[in-house]
Amino acid sequence: MVVGNVRRAHTVMSARLVLLSAGAVLMILPFAYMLSTSFKPNALVLSIPPQFLPHQVTTSNYTQAWSSNQFGHYFVNSLWVAVVTTLASVLLSAMMAYALARFQFPGRTVAFGLILVGLMVPGLMMLIPQFLLAKKLLLLNSLWGLVVFYTGGNLALNTFLLRSFFQDIPWELEEAMVVDGGGPWTRFWRLILPLSRPALAVVAIFTFLASWDEFTWALTIINDPSKYTLPIGIALFQGQHSTSWGLVFAASAIAIGPVIAIFAIFQRQFVSGIATGAVKA
Amino acid sequence: MRVGRLIVFLGVAAAVASMAATAGARTSSARTTTVTFWDAYSAGGGEVKTLEGVVIPGFEKTHPGIVVKDVTIPYDDLHQKLVTGVAGGQLPDLVRTDIIWVPELANLGVLAPLDQVMPDFKKYAARVFKGPLTTNYWKGHYYGLPLDTNTRIFNYSPAALSAIGASGPPKTFAQLISLSAQAKAKGYDLYAESGTSCWNVCPWIWSNGGSVTNKTYTKASGYLNGPKSVAAIQMLVNLYKAGEMPGIIVNSNAGLGTYDGINQNKYVATLDGPWMDAIFSAAYPKTQVVGSLVPAGPAGSISVVGGEDIVMTKSSKNKTAALEFLRYMLGYGTQAQLALAGQMPVLTSSSKWLTRVHPYYATYVKQLLTAKPRTPTPKWTQIDQVITTDVAKAFQGSESVQQALTDAATQIDGLLK
Repeated sequence: MVVGNVRRAHTVMSARLVLLSAGAVLMILPFAYMLSTSFKPNALVLSIPPQFLPHQVTTSNYTQAWSSNQFGHYFVNSLWVAVVTTLASVLLSAMMAYALARFQFPGRTVAFGLILVGLMVPGLMMLIPQFLLAKKLLLLNSLWGLVVFYTGGNLALNTFLLRSFFQDIPWELEEAMVVDGGGPWTRFWRLILPLSRPALAVVAIFTFLASWDEFTWALTIINDPSKYTLPIGIALFQGQHSTSWGLVFAASAIAIGPVIAIFAIFQRQFVSGIATGAVKA
Repeated sequence: MRVGRLIVFLGVAAAVASMAATAGARTSSARTTTVTFWDAYSAGGGEVKTLEGVVIPGFEKTHPGIVVKDVTIPYDDLHQKLVTGVAGGQLPDLVRTDIIWVPELANLGVLAPLDQVMPDFKKYAARVFKGPLTTNYWKGHYYGLPLDTNTRIFNYSPAALSAIGASGPPKTFAQLISLSAQAKAKGYDLYAESGTSCWNVCPWIWSNGGSVTNKTYTKASGYLNGPKSVAAIQMLVNLYKAGEMPGIIVNSNAGLGTYDGINQNKYVATLDGPWMDAIFSAAYPKTQVVGSLVPAGPAGSISVVGGEDIVMTKSSKNKTAALEFLRYMLGYGTQAQLALAGQMPVLTSSSKWLTRVHPYYATYVKQLLTAKPRTPTPKWTQIDQVITTDVAKAFQGSESVQQALTDAATQIDGLLK
């Protein structure tokens, strides 16, 4: 009986490992192909049958991608926009989420409902109204125009995620601080935020990714090539009549570096955040 | 890890990026007039390098006090950016626009009528080919000047053609059909096409004697779904259904792109423009591509006119400087420089020297003699979408060719009203 149970457990474990390995391979394959392609000469980029290990290895795609179209400058612009957006969005959405989770005030439910409605409006529908608003706010052709609208665009989801996390923090902990004379700001800054590190890491990563990858809004409001961000820089390798795929993949590989760095740094908090319910209502 | 660590990390990264960004910004000069020029020149074949490395520096050297700010925008997004720019009143001084967008932009009232605001317009208009010039005409005025022109010809790989046992490229529809079967037997697709828009299929319709609309561009029913137009599309559908054309005509993921397919000896030929040689030289230097006229149908060999116009916006605050750059773009030297990067000149005099820039231009010049423009209307973008969608249905087999083109013609009638 015991031997049978052990065998069964082994079989289940083996099946799990096979499934997970297959899933991992499926996830890694496009990324590996992107990296492999970025080292191929242009003529062999889309060869059939596909070459996963390039027969001829070249780094010219990287040097060409980095040296053309002010690519390095676009990288810096993207980094600045993504970092400032992440800081602003995480701070503002945490404050909103705290208010919605802990305070009773008239219109609280309506306010939260309106935030949720914001999640349901397709971004492209907002393009022209946002453009006109940005014009009135003198934010066209400016990196601040990206930061302000990216921050606004991320607030709804971040607030939604953080609110549910904050609600799960026992109120008794805050009560203890109230007894010791702690005001709302002290409780938020010294109790809620430190206890919410996993959730904050999750929203920070989501926000960073969203602002790092965003293309349509950036292309719409930026008219000065020196203010272009990376997604536009990569799109410029897609010409009217042909696409330099080697350059596109090399540029994408460069662009993905900070994303991997952010994820690697906050990986423990990110996994913990998901496990403790930061991404469920 | 503490929250502080997250904030410190993000703060340091922002500070570094901010310093680098401002350092770059300080380098911009404070010269007198800046002309902003939007375009969709391609980075792949050397067009952007020629513009930014040769043409603009040449202009700024000979025109002290004027700086040209080139804003390269991905072609697929330029139209949307122009429309958004119109809505927000944020347009540049000059735009290199696809010829098919000029009526739409003129109709929106955002372009300056060059024949009124450019004192020497007639002099420059007289220098360029009449066909490309007419693409700037809308309701009594010329809103731009042609900048480059092109057409599609039958570009083939001589090595692949030889491999299928053909002595030369197909010169007629009948030869196209027989060589397609011959190519299939050898494991090739003779003719690869990358879409079903007018740019892709109109050369076959026109060469067969069909048309998209009547001559006054007011009606498509009876023309796009007329027997000659239907027969032309039916010929392509038959090739596709016989497995003699690759699936990329309706699904870009169904196979290699036209260039990669030719480079990898899967396809023999495609219809394409003069940029192809420059792109092949840069990306596929081992593959030779040669051009011949579009195979002729009962009406002859008729291709489609493509190209770009240069237009000035009404909102430009630097019209004098902008017009100077516009004139420079139409100068002999500039046109010759751009010809080296695959941009076919629009100057009538270029027919004398163009083949010296590159011999392959000779076939394009010949094809242009009979090439036709697409319907000049502000609704062209929507009309072309209708053609693309409905012709694709015929290839996919969800509708007969007659039904698909009749549906398209009915919708286009509504758009032309």
